[in-house]
Amino acid sequence: MNLYVILRRSGWSSPEELGEAAERSTRVGAQMPDDVRWIRSYVLDEGAGTVGTVCIYEAESPEAIRKHAGRADLPVDEIIPVADTVVVRPDPQPATA
Amino acid sequence: MRRKGPDPAQDDRLLERAAQLGALDEALAAVRGSGQGRLVLLTGEAGIGKTSLLRAFCAGHGDVATFRGGCDPLFTPRPLAPFAELAGAAGGRLASRLARGRTPADVLEALAEELPRRGPALLVVEDLHWADEATLDVVRLLGRRLDALPLLVVLSYRDEHVHRSHPLRIVLGDLPAADTLRLALAPLSAAAVTELAGDEAVDADALARRTGGNPFFVTEVLAARGAEMPATVRDAVLGRAARLSPPARRILDAVSIFPPRAELALLEECVPGYPDGVDECLATGMLHPEGAAVAFRHEIARFALDAELPPHDRMTLHRAALRALSRAVPPDPARLAYHAEGAGDREAVLRWAPVAAERAAALGSHREAAQQYARALREADGLTPERRAELHERRSYECYLTDQMPEALDARLEALAEHRRRGARLREGDAHRWVSRLRWFLGENEAAEREAQAALDLLEGEPPGPELAMAYSNMSQLRMLARDSAAGIAWGERSIALSERLGEDEILVHALNNVGASQCQSGDPEGRTTLERSLDLALRAGLEEHAARAYTNLAAWMDETRQYALADAYLGRGIAYCRDHDVESWRIYMTGWLARSHLDQGRWDAAAEAATTVLRYPNPAAPSRIKPLAVVGRLRARRGDPEAWEPLDEARRLAEGMAELQRLAPVAVTRAEARWLAGEHELVAAETDATLAVAIAADDPWSAGELAVWRLRAGVREDPPGIEIAAPWALELAGDGAAAARAWSELGCPYEAALALTGADGEAPLRQSLAELERLGATRTAACVARMLRRRHGVRGLAVGPRAATRANPGGLTVRELDVLELLTAGLRNREIAARLYLSEKTVHHHVSAILRKLAVPTRGQAAAEAARLGIAKR
Repeated sequence: MNLYVILRRSGWSSPEELGEAAERSTRVGAQMPDDVRWIRSYVLDEGAGTVGTVCIYEAESPEAIRKHAGRADLPVDEIIPVADTVVVRPDPQPATA
Repeated sequence: MRRKGPDPAQDDRLLERAAQLGALDEALAAVRGSGQGRLVLLTGEAGIGKTSLLRAFCAGHGDVATFRGGCDPLFTPRPLAPFAELAGAAGGRLASRLARGRTPADVLEALAEELPRRGPALLVVEDLHWADEATLDVVRLLGRRLDALPLLVVLSYRDEHVHRSHPLRIVLGDLPAADTLRLALAPLSAAAVTELAGDEAVDADALARRTGGNPFFVTEVLAARGAEMPATVRDAVLGRAARLSPPARRILDAVSIFPPRAELALLEECVPGYPDGVDECLATGMLHPEGAAVAFRHEIARFALDAELPPHDRMTLHRAALRALSRAVPPDPARLAYHAEGAGDREAVLRWAPVAAERAAALGSHREAAQQYARALREADGLTPERRAELHERRSYECYLTDQMPEALDARLEALAEHRRRGARLREGDAHRWVSRLRWFLGENEAAEREAQAALDLLEGEPPGPELAMAYSNMSQLRMLARDSAAGIAWGERSIALSERLGEDEILVHALNNVGASQCQSGDPEGRTTLERSLDLALRAGLEEHAARAYTNLAAWMDETRQYALADAYLGRGIAYCRDHDVESWRIYMTGWLARSHLDQGRWDAAAEAATTVLRYPNPAAPSRIKPLAVVGRLRARRGDPEAWEPLDEARRLAEGMAELQRLAPVAVTRAEARWLAGEHELVAAETDATLAVAIAADDPWSAGELAVWRLRAGVREDPPGIEIAAPWALELAGDGAAAARAWSELGCPYEAALALTGADGEAPLRQSLAELERLGATRTAACVARMLRRRHGVRGLAVGPRAATRANPGGLTVRELDVLELLTAGLRNREIAARLYLSEKTVHHHVSAILRKLAVPTRGQAAAEAARLGIAKR
C-alpha cells in the first residue's frame, strides 16, 4: 500500500455532520481493509461553521480511495501521493473545544 | 496428578475474545432470523487463537448443525481436503458423494442437502490460506448462493500469508461485501498474558514483549518452563519436546510427517514400540486427540518438529508411511505421492503423482494438478520419451488453465523436444501450434507467427487430420488478431472445410469464431451471424472455452463499434456463463472489456471497479491487462488523480510486444489524452504517429478517427486520414463539434460528447461541456475546459473542482445525492437504486437521509416534489 494525503475542503457544514461522516468512514473502511487504511486526519476550520479535512490514508490505489469515499459519502478534492514522511514531533494532544 | 502452573492441555481459557464471540453470536442470530446466509472472515497471525475461538463458539452452540474442516498444510494440498474432513465427520450421503469425487458445484449441492431446512447451520473452514483450488471454488460458489442458504459460514486464514496475488485474495474480493463480516484477532494485552501466567514464576511483562502477545507462543513458553525464556516459538516447542521420554519423542517425530493429523492405526504400523509414549504426548499437551487420530496443538509445532527431523529418520518414517498407506482401500493418491517423495521412492512417485494429478484436475484443482505433474517430472529420467512427453503436455495444459503461461510454455517446449527426438511429426507439429498459442498469450506475437508456420510446415507433409485443421485455425486466429481480415477468412475457411470433413466440431467452432471476427473487421455484417453460429454450436456441445470466446468476440466487436446496448448484453451473458462454468480466464478478459464499456458510458466508479478486479489477478495473460490498465490510467488522468502514467507505461510495453491494433489503439489514444490533459500538446503526435499508420493500413474507421481527433485537438495540422472515418469522429475532424457532440450523446458517451463540444463555436457549448465534465468527476478535464473559457471568451471567476457542482446546486446536494434523487424521483426503492448505482443499500440509505435533511422534507415523495419545485434535476 502507498501513503496518500486526501484533501476534503469544506466538506461539512458542522462538526456533527463531520462526526457522522467519520463514523461512516470507519464502518466502510473496516469492510475493505485490503484496500484502504485510515491513518489520521486534521480537521480544518474553514469559517462560518464549515469544516474540512486533510486525511492521511494508506491505500492500494487512488481508485481504492475514491471507492471508499463513494461508499462512505465523503468528498474528495484532491489525492496526493506522499513521497516521504518527516516526523519532528508527535502530534500535540488534540485541543478540546 | 495436578502439576503446578497452567496446563496447556487443559487450558481452554479464552481471554480478550468476548467481542469476537459476541459478533459471531450476532451473525448466527441474524441467519436464524432471516433464513439467509452470512459470512464471517476470521483473520490473524499463526497462533493468535483462531481455532480456539472457533472451538469455543461451536461449543457454545451445540444445538446447531455444525460442519467443520481445515485445509491441508501440504505444499500440494489434497483437493477439497476440508470438505473431505467434514464429510468424514458427518458421514452419510455427503461422505459418499464426496468419495465419488465430483466437481465443486456438486460438493456445495451435497452440503446444501444436508442442511436443516429451517436452519441455521454452521460451516467452518479453517486455514484457508492453504486451500487448494477446488476448495476455493466451493467458497466462491458459496458466496454467490449465500442468499438461499440458512448458513453461517466462518472462514479463517492467516492474513499475513495472503499477499496481494494470493489466490484467496481474489476469492475474497468476489464475496458479497454486504453479507460479509471481518473479524481480526489482535495479540493479547500484557494484562491477559499476566493472567495466563497465573502463579508461574515468570516476568509477565518480558513474556508479553517476547511473545508479542501471541497466545500459542505464551502457552508454549509457560509449558516449556526452562530457565531461560526461549527466543522464538520454535525454540519453545523444541524445548518442550526435548524433555519428553525417548518413546514419546518417537511418537511426536512420527506425527510430524502426517499433516494435518496422524491416524493411530498408521502410527501403530510406522512406530516401533507403539503405543508407548502416546499417553505422555497427550498428557503433556504436545498432542491432542482428534477421533481415532492425534494432531499437534498447532501447525507451528508440527512444522518445527518436522524441520528438526534428521534426514535419515524422516526418510525411514516416510517409507513406513508409504508402505502402510498403499494398503489402504481406496488409496489416497495425493497422500501417497507426498510420502513417496519424502521417502525418495522414485517408482512410487511416478506411480502416484500422475494419479493424484488426474484426480485433482477432475475436481477442478488445476493448480494442484500442475504441481503433481511437476513432482512426477522431477523423477522422470527413466521413463520412455513418449510417457515423459505426455506428462509435460498434461502439465502444460494444467498450467495454461491456471494462467501460469511461462510454466505452460516451458512444459510444452519440453514435450516438443521429446516429440522431435523420436520423430513423431504429428505430435511435434501440434506442439508447435500450442507453443504458438502460448507465445501469443505471453505477448510475443512474432514468435507466435513463426511457430504457427512451423506447425503448418510439419503437418502439411502428413495425412490431413485434426492437428492440421487446428493449425489452420490457429493461423486464421493470428491473422484475424493482426487485423489481416482477408487472410483470417482464407485460413479459417480451410480449417472449416477440413474439420467438417473430419467431423471435428470443436475445431469447427474455433475456426468459425476466427472467420466471424475477421468478417466483422472487414465490415461484413455476416460476421455477427457467423459468430452467433459458433456460439450456438459451442453452447450446444458444451464447449465452454469456445463459447466464452464467441461471447468475447461478439462483445468486443460491438464495443469497438460503440454499440453499447449489444456489447453490454453480450458481456452480461458471457460473464454470467463464465461464472457458471468457471471459465475464469475468459471471465477476466471480458471484465476488462466491461470496464471500458462502463468508462465510455460515463459509469466511472463501475469502470474502476471492473478494471481493478482484473488487475488484481496475479498473472493474467498480457491481452487481459492492457484494456483495464488503459481504463485506470484514463480515469486517473481525467480526475487529476496521481499515478496515471504507471499503468499507461505498462500498457504500452504490453501492447508493443503484441503489436496488434486492438491493443495499440486504446493505449495510444489514452496516452494522447493524458498528454493533452497535462498540457503537453507537443507530445501527442509522437504518442500517436505509429499507431495511426497501423490504423490507416488496417482501414479501421474508429481507431483512426479517434487518433486523428486527438492530434487535431493537440494542434497538429495535417490532412485527414485517407480512409473512411466513423461518423462522430469525422464530424469533429470536419469542424462540426456540435454535431459530433450530438452523435456521441446518441451513442451514449457523455464524456466524448462533452469533449466534442470544445470543438463547437461560442461560449455556451464550452459552459455546457464544463458542467458535464464536473458531473462526471473529470476534474482535470474540466480545468482544461475552464482555461479555454478564460482564453477564448475571457470568462472569469469560474468555480472549478468537485465542490463546484455542489455549491452551484440550490439544495446543496452532492453529485452522488443528485444521482440518488433522480432515481428516487423515478420511484425506485433503495435496493433498486443501490443496484443501479453500484452502491450498497446502506450507502443509499445514507444518501436518502442526507437528501431529506438538506431539502428539509420528511418523506421521499415530498423530496421529489421539492426537487421539482427548486428545479434540481440532473443537467
